[in-house]
Amino acid sequence: MEALVAQKVTKRYKGRHRETLALDAVDLSIAKGRLFAFLGRNGAGKTTFIKIASTLLAPTSGRVELFGRDVVADPAAVRPLIAVVPQEGKPFYHMTPREHIVEYLRVRGASGETAKSRADGMLEAMGLNEYKDEVSYRLSGGLQQRTMVAMILATQAPFLFLDEPTLGMDPFARRQVWKVIRRAAQAGSTVLLTTHYLDEAEQLSEELAVIESGRVLYRGTAEALKSTLGREVRLRFSRGFTAPELQPYGRVFEERGAVTLLTMRKDVRELTELALERGSEITVGPVTLEEAFLELVGRGIEEDA
Amino acid sequence: MIAGGQVKAAFRICYFNGIIPLWRSPLLIWAVFLTPLSFLFFLFVITGPTDPQFLPHAVVGGVLFTVIFTGNGMLNDCAYLRLERQLQQIFVASPVRPFAYLMGMALSELAFTIPALVLFLAILLLVTPVSLLGFVGLLGVVLLTWLMATSLGFLISTLFKQLREIWPIGTLTFSSLAVLPPIFYPAYLIPARFQWVAFLAPSTYASQLADAVTGVNVGSPLSPGVLNSPWLDLAGLAGATILFALAAAYLARWREP
Ligand SMILES: Nc1ncnc2c1ncn2[C@@H]1O[C@H](COP(=O)(O)OP(=O)(O)OP(=O)(O)O)[C@@H](O)[C@H]1O
Ligand SMILES: [Mg+2]
Repeated sequence: MEALVAQKVTKRYKGRHRETLALDAVDLSIAKGRLFAFLGRNGAGKTTFIKIASTLLAPTSGRVELFGRDVVADPAAVRPLIAVVPQEGKPFYHMTPREHIVEYLRVRGASGETAKSRADGMLEAMGLNEYKDEVSYRLSGGLQQRTMVAMILATQAPFLFLDEPTLGMDPFARRQVWKVIRRAAQAGSTVLLTTHYLDEAEQLSEELAVIESGRVLYRGTAEALKSTLGREVRLRFSRGFTAPELQPYGRVFEERGAVTLLTMRKDVRELTELALERGSEITVGPVTLEEAFLELVGRGIEEDA
Repeated sequence: MIAGGQVKAAFRICYFNGIIPLWRSPLLIWAVFLTPLSFLFFLFVITGPTDPQFLPHAVVGGVLFTVIFTGNGMLNDCAYLRLERQLQQIFVASPVRPFAYLMGMALSELAFTIPALVLFLAILLLVTPVSLLGFVGLLGVVLLTWLMATSLGFLISTLFKQLREIWPIGTLTFSSLAVLPPIFYPAYLIPARFQWVAFLAPSTYASQLADAVTGVNVGSPLSPGVLNSPWLDLAGLAGATILFALAAAYLARWREP
């Protein structure tokens, strides 16, 4: 069953001087219980989509259904089923992390007992225990962000929208948050998150969509993205090669004198032989999602130009 | 969530948005007290001894000033939570109905002013006898004025996309409502030809009505005579409240356009 179905969602922001087409007839569906990541450059339209789907912004045209309910026509039916971490949201300055979770759950209708026990579990899981009774204006930026995420995840809402949930978090904290997000999905929540950390998307998401200039460029798994692009391996040559001669094999980057090539598996043997002939060291590895993303979006930009 | 849940949600919001901050920073109470108290002080020093009717009216004025400024708090807090912290959004995208969120915010503003209100009501009882019925009537006027002011505050907050544009507007609006009209000074001091002008401000109705229910006598009648009717005052205050509340409901950015 689909948790989210978007059809031809278009959003035009009308400014004083110009109009921005933030979403251009986006079609997208997300299966129930899926952990779905939205990737795209700054201004690609990720937040706009999340706001529309979470009843916070009106689309210019098109339709979004959440669990079969229209987000525009029937927001009152949708809202009890969702919770949102807004991009760059900040906690109440005068409340502690524990109070944030308890009070937010209680406002949403949970009993005092449920709220407290979920809060304690969540504080522990998010590594906030040490800070749970500190008012939030005394917390660092990353800890405040953790408070926001903890509060939203504790709702166990059927659909969780997380707009850059790990923004400003250290690598340890990010991994803790991943664990909690994964657990939410395993427990049955559908998760739509955005991130600029491609390693995070690769680690965390079961499926992803790459969005650029308001259009969905790709939708599928991280693995499939790499192979459909024809970029499965990364070869790095320490010397003896120039970028132009490697161009026919795939995408080439020059960094600090070395040349990096993203290419297909079948070319590896030939290029390795060549490297040995020229006395160049060569390292071979799988392409990362970040590289595949650069390739995909890069192609899109080149086509537009 | 059913209706009972929405009421609970509103009081819960009042608890953590109004009571907790008050508890943690009791100095905030002084901020609410100080302005109306100093107005009262100056008025007393200047005219108190000469006009015995004047002081009770000004103390009732202190009550209303405090209540009118819940609108300024509402304006700033709603704008701040929506624009600066993105927190209105987490309540909109939840089972909490927008109306419950609004009531919660408005109740928080009321909670903030309760210490000041208690003080002014105590002063009022010191300077003039008020019957129990009059006291209950005054509380009714306080509640209506609170609804009027917080609706207006929220209404104005919906018009802005930038926090920095808001602060001067709030101070300007609510000072004009609480200081310029005859809240602290009696309306009969306005030249008769212009007395109707004061009734362009909804706060004037609140002040006149509060005087009427508490039996505070403010001297010569106003002209035209209809301005002396408490029913006009009630209609004016209730009308403004409904108007602001409807406009606020219409313009509210629960969903950005
Ligand atoms: N309120 C607004 N008014 C006008 N234009 C807007 C508004 N919000 C967003 N935009 C424009 O819409 C486009 C999409 O913005 P959006 O915030 O959805 O991007 P995003 O993918 O979330 O980017 P980021 O990764 O930087 O968060 C951008 O061109 C942006 O400038
Ligand atoms: Mg964004």
